[in-house]
Amino acid sequence: MLNDLQLNSILEDFDIAYWKINLLNKEVSWSEHFDTLIGKPEFSESHFEYFLKEILHQDYRYDFRLYFDKLTEENEAFSIELKLKLSNGKYRWFECRNLKNKENNKETAVLLFVNIHQSKRDQYTIEENFFYYRETAQMTNTGGWYIDTLNKNIYWDNVTKKITDCPLDYQPPYEEHFRFYAPEEHPVVMSAFEKCEKYGIPFKIELKMRNLYNKDFWVRATGKPVYNEDQDIIGIRGVFQDINEQKVNELNLQNSLDIIATQNSRLFNFAHIVSHHLRSHSSNLCLIVELLKEAKTDTDKIELIPNVADISENLDLAINQLNNIVNKQSILRKERRIVSFEKALSGVMASTSSLINRENAKIVAEFHALKEISYIPEYLESILLNLITNAIKYKHPGRKPVIYIQTYVKNETPFLEVSDNGLGIDLDQYGDKMFGMYKTFHKNLDSRGIGLFITKNQVETLGGSISVTSTVDVGTTFKIKF
Amino acid sequence: MGQKVELACIIDDDKIYVNLVKKIIEIKKLSENLLIFKNGMEALDHFKLILENATEEILPDIIFLDINMPIMDGWEFLNEFIKIKNNFEKKITLYVVSSSIDPRDLERAKSFNLVTDYLIKPIELKKFEKIFDRNGHAAA
Repeated sequence: MLNDLQLNSILEDFDIAYWKINLLNKEVSWSEHFDTLIGKPEFSESHFEYFLKEILHQDYRYDFRLYFDKLTEENEAFSIELKLKLSNGKYRWFECRNLKNKENNKETAVLLFVNIHQSKRDQYTIEENFFYYRETAQMTNTGGWYIDTLNKNIYWDNVTKKITDCPLDYQPPYEEHFRFYAPEEHPVVMSAFEKCEKYGIPFKIELKMRNLYNKDFWVRATGKPVYNEDQDIIGIRGVFQDINEQKVNELNLQNSLDIIATQNSRLFNFAHIVSHHLRSHSSNLCLIVELLKEAKTDTDKIELIPNVADISENLDLAINQLNNIVNKQSILRKERRIVSFEKALSGVMASTSSLINRENAKIVAEFHALKEISYIPEYLESILLNLITNAIKYKHPGRKPVIYIQTYVKNETPFLEVSDNGLGIDLDQYGDKMFGMYKTFHKNLDSRGIGLFITKNQVETLGGSISVTSTVDVGTTFKIKF
Repeated sequence: MGQKVELACIIDDDKIYVNLVKKIIEIKKLSENLLIFKNGMEALDHFKLILENATEEILPDIIFLDINMPIMDGWEFLNEFIKIKNNFEKKITLYVVSSSIDPRDLERAKSFNLVTDYLIKPIELKKFEKIFDRNGHAAA
């Protein structure tokens, strides 16, 4: 058996202090180590009262007195974590519990005070860090995941489940976890995972994921290899950050930028046209003036007059055309409405009936797949008008013009196609100029080269695009992506 | 005044301009003959015919080439003309003439070696006389 002295020194080594309580008179005496801990104070009241008043943190006074009474009166064991004020004036965490009384000793009880400050602090630090981690994860919508490549298991934390719209008890399937990525991202994701699993190459990518209900959203994903002690890769660990909102904003912003850029180039084009097209008339006027000065006879002068009339007519025409463009652009301020293709087409056909009848043109329309669209009605009519008159203007001399108009939806995007059996055009030669202003490709007198320019403008202003395919002597197809 | 230009050529789709220049050339007697094409393609086809000896006509001494024309514009004509010009025995002086004051058009025109100068419409009468005169000296 150890004697008291040996026991004391062992307890001291473990930083354990103790009280002896006389159960008969409830008097407390404490070990030397306890006395040292609290700075060997001198006091007149009882140990217990002094302890309650000066040593024990006030938060625990009530509980401690309760436990103490139960122990001394009913011999009921207890254990409590509390804070004591030590000799340096600072509070430290201790665990206080009574030692089981083996010999059924009814006279004394022993209370142990074990210093647990370090572990308590570690615990707080962990709790604190966990709190920050959790708050950060929730605030930034960042979820953690782990792929156990050895045992073929996937683990997701709650935030990952939240951003993928999965219930909290959802177990992501290892074999089918690719369903959570948009199909177009599969090659990228597969290659990233494979490189990480095989060669330990970490990844950080932006990609489109797909939630449980097949709705796509943008994430930033990082992944790093996890090694075992033998430095073999046993899994991949990483996070998904839901950046859909930012990404959508970014894409919108890019879209706005693109629109601004095209508007800008349109303005540039417009300025160019103004300078070019108007200048050609004004320079002709200058020439006439010079010739008038040079003219020696009245007959010579009078001969020049018809030229002046021609120039003024052309100048007027050019200004009207420019005015037209400006007017079309100002429709921009109008709002989109649901427009029926059928109605828009019948409006256009009514206004071009004389041309259609004269050329005996046949117009076939298929609007079954997509009957209506949210668009600026004036734009849709103008687009149809330009494409139809274009098709008739450039009809093949050997056959009656047939125009086939079709709407459909592909990949959730609405399309309009206008095909004709006309002259066709060599796109290798003229493709890049097709939609430029004042580009005319045929010798037709009434080709002004402004219709397609306006059509392209209108389509692009509303965020769409227009493309063309054509075969000489066979026909042309314009495809509008809304 | 130097030696008279035998044949001048205008490639331009602006009828009024062409008429006026025609008048100037007539009044000032700048060239004996005048060849007029509405676009680059017509001019090119004509020059090719001469090269193939399919016609009795001769090549012009001087060409005034517009930029903006339908079917084949001035740039396209220049690109095609480069390919065949070495087959000509005659030296042809070529001016690009346009109402465009866009500096990019000017730069582009100067990038062609065979372009003598870029002239901005309207060309003054005196300038016309100079051009034809200088051409006369050069040919002499």
